[in-house]
Amino acid sequence: MGKKMIMLGNEAIARGIVEAGCEVACAYPGTPSSEILPAIAKWADELNTKTAVEWGANEKVAFEMAAAASFAGKRACAVMKQVGLNVAADPFMSVAHFQLKGGLLLVVADDPGPHSSQTEQDSRFFAMFAKVPCFDPSTAAEAKDMVFDAYDLSERHGIVTMLRPTVRVDHCRQDVELLDVVSLERKASFEKDVRRWVCLPAHVRINHPLLNQKNDAIREEFERDFSKYNYEVPAEEKATMGIIAGGISFAVVMDLLNSMGRKDISVLKIGTPYPLPTKLVDDFIAKHDKVLVLEETYPVIEMQINDKSKVLGRFNGWVPKAGELLPEIVEGVILRALGEEAALPPEEEYLKKALEELNITPRKPMLCPGCPHRASFFSIRQALPNGIYPSDIGCYTLGVNQKTVDAVIDMGASVTQASGLYLAHKVDGTERPIVATIGDSTFFHMGMPGLASAVYNKHAFVLAILDNSITAMTGGQSHPGIGEKLRKGEEGRKVDLEEAVRGCGVKWVKTVEAYDVNKNKELVKEAWEYAKENEEPAVLIFKHPCMLLRPEQDKIPVKVDQEKCIGCKFCINFFNCPGLVFDEEKKKAYIDERFCVQCGVCINVCPHGAILGSNGEEA
Amino acid sequence: MQYVIVGIGGQGILFSSRVLGHIALSKGESVMGSEVHGMAQRGGSVISHFKIGKYSSPLVKAKEADVLLAFDQNEAIRNLHFLKPGGKAIINVHAPEALENPNLKRFLEERSIELYPIKGYEILKEHMNGKFLFLNVLILGAMCGAGIGNVTLEEVKRAIEELAPPKYVEANLKVVDLGYGAMAK
Repeated sequence: MGKKMIMLGNEAIARGIVEAGCEVACAYPGTPSSEILPAIAKWADELNTKTAVEWGANEKVAFEMAAAASFAGKRACAVMKQVGLNVAADPFMSVAHFQLKGGLLLVVADDPGPHSSQTEQDSRFFAMFAKVPCFDPSTAAEAKDMVFDAYDLSERHGIVTMLRPTVRVDHCRQDVELLDVVSLERKASFEKDVRRWVCLPAHVRINHPLLNQKNDAIREEFERDFSKYNYEVPAEEKATMGIIAGGISFAVVMDLLNSMGRKDISVLKIGTPYPLPTKLVDDFIAKHDKVLVLEETYPVIEMQINDKSKVLGRFNGWVPKAGELLPEIVEGVILRALGEEAALPPEEEYLKKALEELNITPRKPMLCPGCPHRASFFSIRQALPNGIYPSDIGCYTLGVNQKTVDAVIDMGASVTQASGLYLAHKVDGTERPIVATIGDSTFFHMGMPGLASAVYNKHAFVLAILDNSITAMTGGQSHPGIGEKLRKGEEGRKVDLEEAVRGCGVKWVKTVEAYDVNKNKELVKEAWEYAKENEEPAVLIFKHPCMLLRPEQDKIPVKVDQEKCIGCKFCINFFNCPGLVFDEEKKKAYIDERFCVQCGVCINVCPHGAILGSNGEEA
Repeated sequence: MQYVIVGIGGQGILFSSRVLGHIALSKGESVMGSEVHGMAQRGGSVISHFKIGKYSSPLVKAKEADVLLAFDQNEAIRNLHFLKPGGKAIINVHAPEALENPNLKRFLEERSIELYPIKGYEILKEHMNGKFLFLNVLILGAMCGAGIGNVTLEEVKRAIEELAPPKYVEANLKVVDLGYGAMAK
């Protein structure tokens, strides 16, 4: 038994990746996957491997870098969240057909719930779509084990493999065993072979049938050799029902059966949902009168079951079709399947009433106190109150609280939505001010193609790049605009944001201090006038470091003059700071010093001059 | 032993489960917990589950937690249903009169739940110059002072010495004692 250590699921996955001899690891951050790549760097340094560990500008970039390293014979991995795979879908689908050389692992973290995403999509479907084998771990320790098998399988069949943890595995903390690094001693050796590395249609016609053969062979292996991930936990007494469960749902079911004291239910764990070990599943179903299928979030196992006549699942409405399968929900599903409907514990009615009476609701996320984005949104909204505000994925999506975020689709779509909104009005011969907001990391991720397109097609709008010099929402990762690489001491080169914008063909670009709300209000108006006049996008870069970087800055204590405050809530509705709150009884705003970081920006916010600096200064 | 730790993003609740995990592992026990990262961390409601012993899943089911550690009073009330009959809660209170709500009291009575309120912000304002980020260790100290949660003051202090950044160890230990003192009567 090796040494044990408590770690996050993501750190366990990273540890497995390093121990398995991966030499090129690439990612773009995204919750719940973000901690994996930094942990790969940490373990690689600790275990003294030379592993290249790099953030790509987006997931497609990261996946392609890893894939090509595999072409050269290295073990490689690409790491992303579920919506990141949408971005990397193109190379993923294509590379699935390749006869790879070095092991290639795709780690894609799903977010049922969702806790931090725009979809609840199930990446196992992507594995099925691409005809790529998929491992679905139930615990952090199992996820780490699966990394080794995924690499082994990848190299034996020359196919990319997918490890699909869900958020509860990524962010579970558990004691995990540490092992040494597998020493592979491989030199990079890319051998030219057009048939193998160029995806011409003629080659796909040969490779697709080969891919089908690989799928058949892997399905057989999953049936035969993978009993450590696919196994039955038989009922201790005569089974009244069977449950087929994968991923975190298996872990939840096992704890539940234990706490419910049920000995009459047998469970089949499926750790390799694609290709499904069908025979194993058919045999299990044959032994039971009814079988419940529990998996997150889509019916991937269920869909592959040949005879569904005894199956209770999502297709026939026994299992919720959206949301996380939390223990309370699974308990309800099991009891219903057994015909033993449970009532809510009666005392919880009292608790519900108390919550209503005390007016307690879940607290919504909001921008941190002192966040520069809050100041930027305030300037934009005040400059062009009748504007349309498309925005993007990142912390600044929370600008929705300040009524300055009207539409968000995915990474980079602030720019392209601005184009679409412009065109929609243009065909009518009308116009409306449009101010799009995007973050610095998101701009490099997918903002640039949209901007080049908008310049080319002559679209009038203002693009505000909210540059806080970090990928903030996911916990502070670097990106091309910062220049620092992931490993401390490993220097990269900074891609200048303003130059990148000019490189896309934009003529009007200005960089401003985000906290200067009064000045910026005028500049937003000026930018829009220019854009309208010249039929082209104008770009304002609002700069100020993220509060999570704990920047050194002047502390300006503030207070609300209770005489001057008329209780209009303007500051709450358009500034929306955790440090500036409203007393519903007194009908006055006040500073909540638990949260206020004394950035001083709110002094400029109150239209009645009620927010004052400590020395009485007002805007 | 099953804990549920609740609060608002940015209050540093993850550190408290790290301390509990460190203690359990040093006793040779298995641990499992679930954390919240990403969007929810930005000032929204956060919840962390933590289990010590032989478990498969990191999630605590409603009505099964032994202890609730609440960094915020509203979040505490929202998550009381996690406590099992006889469960106990340490709550950082800012408006204690809410705890007198008759329906709330009926719920607590029916489920025999004991509350241990602590005026965390007042204590930190008075003794720590308003550095509210120390709330996590204050609550751990209070838990030891109340004699619940199955860990001792010494164990918590040792874990903090091993986990906290060296320059903050001394201040952290002082706050643990403040929490302990506020509860141990």
